[in-house]
Amino acid sequence: MKVVIVGNGIAGNEVASYLREHGKDKDIDITILSAEKFPEYDPCSLPYFVGGEVDRNVVFRKSLDHYKKNRINLVLDNKAVSIDSNAKKVTTEKGDVFPYDSLVLAHGGSLFIPPIPGVNLDGVLSCKVLAEADKLARHKGTKAVVIGSGAIGIEAAEALKLKGYQVTIIELLDWIMPTLFCEGAARFLEDEMRGYGIEVYTSEKVLSIQGDGSVESVKTDKRVIPCDTVVIATGVVPGRPLAETAGVACDRGVLVNDQMLTNVDDIYACGDCVQTYDACTGEGCMYQLKHNAIEQARIVARNILGEKAQYRGAYPFARAHYFDTHAVTFGKTMKGAERICTLDQVEVLERSTINGYLRLLLKEGKIIGGQAIGKMADYAGLLMGCMWRGEDLHEFIENWPKIAELDSPYPWQARKLGQLLGLSSLDAKPGKGLERVYAILK
Amino acid sequence: MALKEEKVLVIDPDKCTGCHSCEMACSIKHFGKCHSYFSRIRIQEFRDVNTFIPVTCQACEDAPCLKVCPMNARVRLESGAVVTDEDKCIGCRACIYSCPFGAPVINPDNGKTMSCDLCMDDPIGPWCVKACTMQQAIKFVRAQDAARAKGRDMAKLLAEDYMPPKQEEGDFGFSFSV
Ligand SMILES: Cc1cc2nc3c(=O)[nH]c(=O)nc-3n(C[C@H](O)[C@H](O)[C@H](O)COP(=O)(O)OP(=O)(O)OC[C@H]3O[C@@H](n4cnc5c(N)ncnc54)[C@H](O)[C@@H]3O)c2cc1C
Ligand code: SF4
Ligand code: SF4
Repeated sequence: MKVVIVGNGIAGNEVASYLREHGKDKDIDITILSAEKFPEYDPCSLPYFVGGEVDRNVVFRKSLDHYKKNRINLVLDNKAVSIDSNAKKVTTEKGDVFPYDSLVLAHGGSLFIPPIPGVNLDGVLSCKVLAEADKLARHKGTKAVVIGSGAIGIEAAEALKLKGYQVTIIELLDWIMPTLFCEGAARFLEDEMRGYGIEVYTSEKVLSIQGDGSVESVKTDKRVIPCDTVVIATGVVPGRPLAETAGVACDRGVLVNDQMLTNVDDIYACGDCVQTYDACTGEGCMYQLKHNAIEQARIVARNILGEKAQYRGAYPFARAHYFDTHAVTFGKTMKGAERICTLDQVEVLERSTINGYLRLLLKEGKIIGGQAIGKMADYAGLLMGCMWRGEDLHEFIENWPKIAELDSPYPWQARKLGQLLGLSSLDAKPGKGLERVYAILK
Repeated sequence: MALKEEKVLVIDPDKCTGCHSCEMACSIKHFGKCHSYFSRIRIQEFRDVNTFIPVTCQACEDAPCLKVCPMNARVRLESGAVVTDEDKCIGCRACIYSCPFGAPVINPDNGKTMSCDLCMDDPIGPWCVKACTMQQAIKFVRAQDAARAKGRDMAKLLAEDYMPPKQEEGDFGFSFSV
């Protein structure tokens, strides 16, 4: 059986490794086509290499040797450009042709470059792929403007600050990390950012990047910021053109069914390029995150091996971390909630204590999302568990007096949840603490 | 992970008296000092109901922490234990946030995470188990026997139960209703 995988990233390699490990009895011929020149590396770790927190070799997940040992035929620096789904063949830019029995599209997405003048000037860099990160790491500048404040923008800003740059972040929307956090939490994180000496401008639009040959300034609708470095971090767009050459149906991303199979026979897709469904709400989604890429890839591999494996859906979960600030977000934000209900159906539970900040969004008593900053974030896993099981927090609060007084510590997570909600403390046996939460719930 | 002699820690919260001996043992074993902050096993305290629960990494089979670490610093050892590679970790805490138990802890010396390594380098085995000889709240048993030993507690809470639901599946892990 010939399996051809397009993309040597997280998803592609997970498919290959899984096939090798679990398909030992089968004679599988695995080929990975890579647009880049390196063995597998992790894009998530690039900002930390750029900032000098880790050595460059840490970004790699595999060595070239590993491919050899596992008999994975790695074709470097040779982008796939078209697919003939009738003849079952992939053609690359260098004109090589690879026949397949199963084809896996795992080519991720590419950096979205905003259509503004000056994006081609010297000193306009990014951090999406290793070659770009290398340039950014080598670059010698003193003043940087980061365009876009998603997780990647924030991480790039931290990295440059660590390298001694003066850093400014510009965000088009009203607050930083707009898809990850609701306003209150984001404002707090924004202030923290400023506290570390990074300038943040929100609700501001970049009009152009100016300079003669190389970058001299960034012009927004509110000001001109002199700089010698610009980092573009305005998001990732899924790659569709290749899929479309084979007649694979795409919407925002490549469309797949619950077996990660596209509408074309024997063409699977996984990772940042696919559009799937949310594990909790079932709505169509594109959460371009590493854990989703890995889980989707395993589903692809299992289906190639003949199991009828079903994908449970993708889920948003991300951390925001810079210097001493630690935060987490999962599920829906207020903005995201608008896609599944009206906002008056969303209840917000917010707590701020010496251990940090917690915000839970509930719908009909059930958690649909949450954000936390500081120590409170440490129990995000427990809260996500509640969300996935659809625990009813209203019922929980009502039952709290009974739960709190059970002799047995089981389940301790329930007690912990009580603590997180402020229901359980020495002075607040059911009563005081309870009222406090009810007051917030209203 | 189907290692022949794989052994795991099994905790019986009913037996824990909250004496913190396990924490001290862990801290001494790994750092030569005696402080909970340096321990990989931590007691969750619920003083209002006089309840104490030792919490430590369960080395989940499909461990979420392995999938979310941006640095690939969470690694599974031969023994089955899941630990942090300090040369790679940047202290971002994604592993803590994604863990159903919030199990990894921050090493106060360097801000990186650490979790139970089962004291594999020591022939006497996990020090916390030895420290709890009196109460026997922590046991080190063969993986095959663990499900039975865990009985109604941890097994039910293990990570498969905690992951997002498959469509049309009803009963997930613990429930809060009484
Ligand atoms: C800076 C940064 C930080 C991130 N941080 C986090 C984080 O903290 N947590 C998180 O969950 N996620 C994070 N992500 C997202 C995460 O990296 C992606 O979700 C994940 O890498 C997706 O894997 P993938 O295999 O789909 O795509 P990729 O890993 O991007 O791999 C796709 C590969 O395919 C190649 N390719 C593209 N087109 C072709 C073609 N036509 N032919 C051959 N090869 C091709 C590309 O060059 C690339 O190597 C981050 C991303 C970046 C860029
Ligand atoms: S998710 Fe938690 S319990 Fe599971 S292996 Fe990781 S740290 Fe250990
Ligand atoms: S804290 Fe360290 S081990 Fe944990 S997810 Fe972050 S980098 Fe990985």
